[in-house]
Amino acid sequence: MQPTPAADNDPLFEAINVSKSFGVFKALRDVSFRVDDGEFVSVVGPNGAGKTTLVNVVSGLLRPTIGEVRFMGRDIAGIGPVELARLGMSRAFQLVNIFPALTVRETLAVAVASRLRRIGNPFRSLRRDDVLQADVERVAEVLGLRARLDAVASALSQGEKKLLDIASAFALNPSVILLDEPTSGVSSGDKHAIMEVLVTAARAAGVRAIVQVEHDMDLVERYSHRIVALQEGTVLADMVPAAFFRDPAMISAVIGTRPKTLGGMH
Amino acid sequence: MTELIDVFLGGTFHAAVLFLVAAGLQLVFGVQKIVNLACGSFYALGAYFGITAVGLAIKFGMPPVLFFPVLIVAGLAIGLVGLPIERVLRTIYRRDESYQLLITFGFLLMFQDVFRFLWGATPRTMDDVYLAYGTANVLGVRVPTYNLLVIAASLGIAVGLGFFLERTRIGRIVRATAENRDMAEGLGVNASKIFALVFTVGCMLGTVGGALVVPSGAASLDMAVELVVESFAVVVIGGLGSMRGALVGALVVGLMRAAAISLVPELEMLSVYLVVVIVLIVRPAGLFGKATA
Amino acid sequence: MSTPAIDVGWGAVVQRVTPRLNGLWVLLGLIAVMALLPCIASPYALMLMLPFIGYGITLLGFNLLFGTTGLLSFGHALFLGVGAYTAAALTSKFGILSFELLLITAALASGLISLVIGALCVRYTRIFFGMLTLAFGMLFHSFLFKFYSVTGGDQGMRVLRPLLLGMEWRGGKTAFLTGPFYYYTLLLFALLGLAMWRITQSPFGLHLRAIRENANKAAYVGVQIFRMRLAAFVISAIYGGIGGTILAVTTGLADPELAYWTHSGNLVFMAVLGGSGTFAGPAIGALVFVLLQDFVMSVTQYWRFVMGAVLVLLVVFMPQGLSGTIEALVRRNGGR
Repeated sequence: MQPTPAADNDPLFEAINVSKSFGVFKALRDVSFRVDDGEFVSVVGPNGAGKTTLVNVVSGLLRPTIGEVRFMGRDIAGIGPVELARLGMSRAFQLVNIFPALTVRETLAVAVASRLRRIGNPFRSLRRDDVLQADVERVAEVLGLRARLDAVASALSQGEKKLLDIASAFALNPSVILLDEPTSGVSSGDKHAIMEVLVTAARAAGVRAIVQVEHDMDLVERYSHRIVALQEGTVLADMVPAAFFRDPAMISAVIGTRPKTLGGMH
Repeated sequence: MTELIDVFLGGTFHAAVLFLVAAGLQLVFGVQKIVNLACGSFYALGAYFGITAVGLAIKFGMPPVLFFPVLIVAGLAIGLVGLPIERVLRTIYRRDESYQLLITFGFLLMFQDVFRFLWGATPRTMDDVYLAYGTANVLGVRVPTYNLLVIAASLGIAVGLGFFLERTRIGRIVRATAENRDMAEGLGVNASKIFALVFTVGCMLGTVGGALVVPSGAASLDMAVELVVESFAVVVIGGLGSMRGALVGALVVGLMRAAAISLVPELEMLSVYLVVVIVLIVRPAGLFGKATA
Repeated sequence: MSTPAIDVGWGAVVQRVTPRLNGLWVLLGLIAVMALLPCIASPYALMLMLPFIGYGITLLGFNLLFGTTGLLSFGHALFLGVGAYTAAALTSKFGILSFELLLITAALASGLISLVIGALCVRYTRIFFGMLTLAFGMLFHSFLFKFYSVTGGDQGMRVLRPLLLGMEWRGGKTAFLTGPFYYYTLLLFALLGLAMWRITQSPFGLHLRAIRENANKAAYVGVQIFRMRLAAFVISAIYGGIGGTILAVTTGLADPELAYWTHSGNLVFMAVLGGSGTFAGPAIGALVFVLLQDFVMSVTQYWRFVMGAVLVLLVVFMPQGLSGTIEALVRRNGGR
């Protein structure tokens, strides 16, 4: 996955002059940003900067008060999660979001069944659906969950649960994946492992872009092609990581002072 | 015109009683998050016990004017039955809602036979109180004074309950516990005690309601299961968990029924359910409810 | 594993995949035993089995909604009422006696009514869904109760003996019910059980379970929450309608109590008694409920107290129900 030069291409998706208010509170003010084919974009900013609102707006969960959200040329303002999945944008959440009593196989089959449209006939067998099962196994393989296919989700480790959450987003064969702090609540060792799996899997599965909200500046620096920094609902910066991390003002605006220990790891 | 006033007063009387039971339901739901199907049983229990209490009062030669306070005290006293029931409910607070609903359904079934065992299967009536208080003239309509007393008592309880929840220290603790049990416990609130208190008060609201209604009608085995549905209608219309909702919902159901009975008797309860369905379509969270996902 | 090292140490319990007792075989085994019952059992016992068949079918459907989709209806008896009154109206008002037609009409009527009610109710979950379904159940009950001219009010409506496969059966009422009707409905029970098994094992069934587990997440992996819930509601209502038809033919009467909310409560009771977490559990719950109620009623007039106490104890001590508890015991002994 490598970004293609943006200039002559249509963006994969974009937010154009988006504002979002909740009552008198303005969560987003005139935010514009675009994501191109092959990009890994990180949205950063202090708490309350509007990161989650932005993700909610660009994923069609919230309708912007003003402005436009387009995905592959289509207006997706407020279309809701099911339509979004159908169009090819899928989403994983900050908190671990799984189906506790379903096995890994079943969890992935939920997504694959909706993609392959296996729902119309309620008497159709799930177990004997070879195409569906093969696809479930393919996704599990890519995300490294193959060996855990028959484990119940609630019995997985925290890191595996995260992977399962992300895997079910992959099972939709999306062209864009939105991740809300994909590694929060996971030990720092696991964080890198998860990101590695994620990026490798995205390449293998033909995902065209990843947008993540992330606090961990290490991960942001290491994996992003571009950083969008939000502050009080406006775009403070939209630049490549190298430029971003060279600017101390930028860093302190987004995360306060950057702890030394995290800075010098790579 | 007189007919209108008649309907209005009849409906308000019914609403006054309905409010008490619904307020108990709301209180328990608000704090314990349990929808208590046995609220109807508490109501019936209050009614039966009220009859017994007034019977005793007559035996001891109490003047009939004191019957009204006797009924209220009887209702409050028998409401203490909420304490042991709460002990049992306590085992399932962290369990799924369906189990909480079912266990109160189990209590409802048990109470049915307790009533049958203690008071028999035939409905029990009590006319003495009605006669003792005579009638009053309201805008040219003769109404039993007793009904006016009940309406006043119910209003008084509504105000008192509001004061308790909004202004007193314990009331604030109750509301904090309702908001977030774990956080309240973190702040040193003894949630078990609050739950026991709330459930008992909720239960008392029901038993007082039952005790107050019995002079105007009868205590019967059907009244428990019938009232459950009516109080459900009240809370759905008013919004689950809201006290103001209980008040308005009770008025809507009470007046609706009274109007239907005098105009189209076939529509008595049907009209109530229709209002429930309409409210549901127009304002899904009820008139005063918070929207829920 | 070909993956980068991810710490699986904490919290990871290696789940041994013990082959669960297949719910379908439990149910079919039960039905097979019942097929042999007429050889040994008294007519009284067989008459007791008929309500079980009616409730068993109803509970199969009910549990698709409750156990599989996670929606607790407290008004499901409404559909028993629809089935019963369909049978009553067709046989005694329109002279239509074909049992097949009764079943099809009852299924269609329940399906249509549930489509409307479901569309209004399934937007809500948890307690709100329960209260709404209860309100609709009572709406129907008071219609049955008050509109005397149409429904016979509290007297109910008579249900005439139907023709099975277009054939008229001679002989007494008990002979008919415990003979041809018994086998007919038992076969129907087996077929509907098989169909329900297929439903729970399908991708559709999986989507229902995903909704129960986490509706929010399910929406993000393309599950159409509203449609799926509505479909589950309608299917469960159709099973209820068929169950109600069988109950009404058995008693020869359709009365408003069938649709009363406490009857809905009994359905939930049966489901939890048997264990809503398993396929055959609720049907077994229906069986135990029918037998227990019959037994307790024969011993004491205060049977409600006993049944209520059983329910309270069940909720406190055995929330998994009979089948869940048995399964846990089997696993503990066999899994070692």
